[in-house]
Amino acid sequence: MPPHITAFFRPLLVTLLSLLPSLAPAAESAPSTTPRATVSLLSASDALAPGQTVELGLHFRFQPGWHIYWMNPGDAGQAPRIEVFAPAGSTVGDLRWPAPERHVDGPITTFVHQGDVLLPFPLTLPATLSGPTTLSVKASWLVCKDICIPEEGVFRLELPAGAAVPGSDAPLFEAARAAAPVRTDWQVSVDAAGQLTLRGAGAGALRSADFFPADWGRIEHGAAQTLTVEGDVARIALVPGAEFDAARPLEGVLRATGADGVERALWLSTADQPVTRLPVVTLAAGDALPPSGVPAPLAQSPATGETGGLWPLLFAFAGGLLLNLMPCVFPVLAIKALSFARAGGGESSRVRQQSLAYCAGVVLSFVALAGLLLALRAAGSQAGWGFQFQSPVFVAAMATLLFAIGLNLSGVFDVGGRLASAGSGLAERGGLAGSFFTGVLAVVVATPCTAPFMGGAIAAALSAPAIVTVGIFVALGLGMALPYLLLAFFPALARRMPKPGAWMERLKQALAFPMYGAAAWLVWVLSQQSGADGVLHVLVALLLVALAAWLAGSAQRGAPRACLWRAAAVLTLVVAALAVGRTPAPQPVAAASADGTYSPQRLADLRASGKPVFVNMTAAWCVTCLMNEKVALSTAEVQAAFAARGIVYLKGDWTRADPDITAFLQSHGRDGVPLYVYYPAGGQPVLLPQILTPGVVLAHLEPQP
Amino acid sequence: MKTAIRHRSALLALVLGLGAALAHAAPKVGEPAPAFSAVDSNGRSVKLTDFAGRTVVLEWTNHGCPYVQKWYQGGMQALQKASTGKGAVWLTVLSSAPGTQGHVDGPTANLMMKEQGAAPTHYLLDPEGRVGRAYGAQVTPHMYVIAPDGRLAYAGGIDSIASADVDDIAKAEPLARLAIDAVLAGRPVAKAQTRPYGCSVKYAN
Repeated sequence: MPPHITAFFRPLLVTLLSLLPSLAPAAESAPSTTPRATVSLLSASDALAPGQTVELGLHFRFQPGWHIYWMNPGDAGQAPRIEVFAPAGSTVGDLRWPAPERHVDGPITTFVHQGDVLLPFPLTLPATLSGPTTLSVKASWLVCKDICIPEEGVFRLELPAGAAVPGSDAPLFEAARAAAPVRTDWQVSVDAAGQLTLRGAGAGALRSADFFPADWGRIEHGAAQTLTVEGDVARIALVPGAEFDAARPLEGVLRATGADGVERALWLSTADQPVTRLPVVTLAAGDALPPSGVPAPLAQSPATGETGGLWPLLFAFAGGLLLNLMPCVFPVLAIKALSFARAGGGESSRVRQQSLAYCAGVVLSFVALAGLLLALRAAGSQAGWGFQFQSPVFVAAMATLLFAIGLNLSGVFDVGGRLASAGSGLAERGGLAGSFFTGVLAVVVATPCTAPFMGGAIAAALSAPAIVTVGIFVALGLGMALPYLLLAFFPALARRMPKPGAWMERLKQALAFPMYGAAAWLVWVLSQQSGADGVLHVLVALLLVALAAWLAGSAQRGAPRACLWRAAAVLTLVVAALAVGRTPAPQPVAAASADGTYSPQRLADLRASGKPVFVNMTAAWCVTCLMNEKVALSTAEVQAAFAARGIVYLKGDWTRADPDITAFLQSHGRDGVPLYVYYPAGGQPVLLPQILTPGVVLAHLEPQP
Repeated sequence: MKTAIRHRSALLALVLGLGAALAHAAPKVGEPAPAFSAVDSNGRSVKLTDFAGRTVVLEWTNHGCPYVQKWYQGGMQALQKASTGKGAVWLTVLSSAPGTQGHVDGPTANLMMKEQGAAPTHYLLDPEGRVGRAYGAQVTPHMYVIAPDGRLAYAGGIDSIASADVDDIAKAEPLARLAIDAVLAGRPVAKAQTRPYGCSVKYAN
């Protein structure tokens, strides 16, 4: 890279790189997030020392009503399982279970954890340990509300070597320790009828008691328990269960209220020796999780068949390459074509520099997107590809930006001047900076179109460590920038570029219309998200931007008192920005019970009733989706084929964030729309490509019966 | 000895007036299996007494439950065919209340069975949960085997590994299969009461 380019990019690079460490918090893994729970792995200390015992914990934060199960789940359910990948010579201890809660559902009683729960367990490291240590944990748990869903997560923590000082999460572990059941010094016994007797100071003062047996079936989990007290003795009448045996130790947690009215969790045991049970936490063979150990999505598309090694990077690269052909990139192609035309007039070395600048713009934008994705992931948000187009403020800002670019292309105002308030100005600036920001803009606009292959790469990125995520996004960017780069380094191709001339101005003016078109499309998208109020906001903003552009243009054309015109332009722009910033939030989605609207329940019901189903996941801001609907799905040919086979057509609209649809996409290894899945009656689901023609759709439907 | 304990505990429960215990009055292995009648997926009335003198298998189901799905990837169908082939009566019971997971009507149940290749003798619809509560069915799949003499010979899990992972079927002790085969052969069931695992039965509240 020539020195002046390096000088231009160095500050940017330094800034971006300095952001990276803060994206990977030292003592908390990236979370696994579903519509039911957010789960992450925590460490009580921010550093690891050889031979040290460190407290780790799985931290569950549940949506209301969802719960997991205690060591003895009760009548139904299943306790979580945790597998630890740690350096050879490490040992693990079992979970230090918090006290469970009783969950009664008709005749079925279960023992559960809900709300915010930490499941802590100790890990002792070998005496020989150097450098930073990566700890991986693979956990599976059953999460239930009205229905049960088995979930699985892989969590990674990288901790530096150092003194074992309590980390920022230590208070959570302290709180868990304080709330954990306390072993009593009472003498505990059980008789053949199932009566539990507690003798000791304070036992006679119990006001209420609820016993949770540590092992399944020792007592009837849901039967009433009767407490009687006398002197220093408390008796709790339990109903023996299927596995009751007075000769074997009975252990469990007693939630007891004493004379002070405070409820405490106590650990009771009729045994003198600790009772051994099958551990929930086990040490895996090997010190690191193999890449293939990442849980595979429920349904595999060809693109997600491999998640390890170089494959995600290759898929990301191919995806980036194909992004150039996506309709979403079309408005930016206008700018790119213009830049080409300009570059064509220069020398070949200049073309190369510009292509490198464009490439850098694309790649650094993808790195920034990776940073955003990681930050959102860390914030527990369900970030998906195209996510930003679900924010009305972002859509309004993009509409305004594209409109401003259009005004500039139309010649209302010029850039290169000081009015560099918008990316439009930057993208249109000549030279290296212009190429760089053209690359940035190309990425921003391409976001909602997920090219084939991309789904798998991003799914891998979402479940991968921060550095892999960044790598995948860099590969995406390189793929997208490659055609431009090729043109620059094969002068034979570049020399075919037209020579500059008067046609360029006309071309520039003509290219304004795709921009206006894109802006109009975004206003329509916004109307889907924020309704009429949102449209009013963005139209006012567009009006103000047009006014600002005219004011700025007048100043540039030598109107007297240019500074006043400019001041008015800036003031107008500020008001426009305020209008954009106050774009109304998305309106709540109407109940998704309407015919043809996707819901997990509807899909399950239709499948259960033996009907073939075609699911279309789409969004108003996804041009590929709309094109596919127009040219393939809504054609008479395809409609007739659906009708002939009795296929039920379900459409999921992801224009606004919808956790059910996000979950559906993720279950197919995708993080963006479009996604087309065909469920034949009684067969395995079939994934369709992301670009449809009537022929493609018909080829994926089974032969007519 | 065990029976003695159970009798005494039942007596104690009555003496103490623990009415709640009655809600959990699951039949004990070795005692007569509770009589029931229910409508099957074809609208026919089915009574337990219709099968007097035969080995009867009860299987609680809910097609939305991941533990049931684990077994309907072929394992349950194979066990149904093997058992009915040896002369057993297989009754699949659906106790999901209307509006809860797994609830279907008769025609849908028939379609589903056809799609899955399931082969029970009857698919019983128990939307009010009367059969389920009579047997104390807690989970799907919860398994019961009734001996030809009408006594309950097995109550518990379908196998010994509580998981929703289909790969665990091969590693687990096939508790229900062992019990069915023992009863069909007239042998005592070695493990007659085991831990059932799965999703809770979605009873009406």
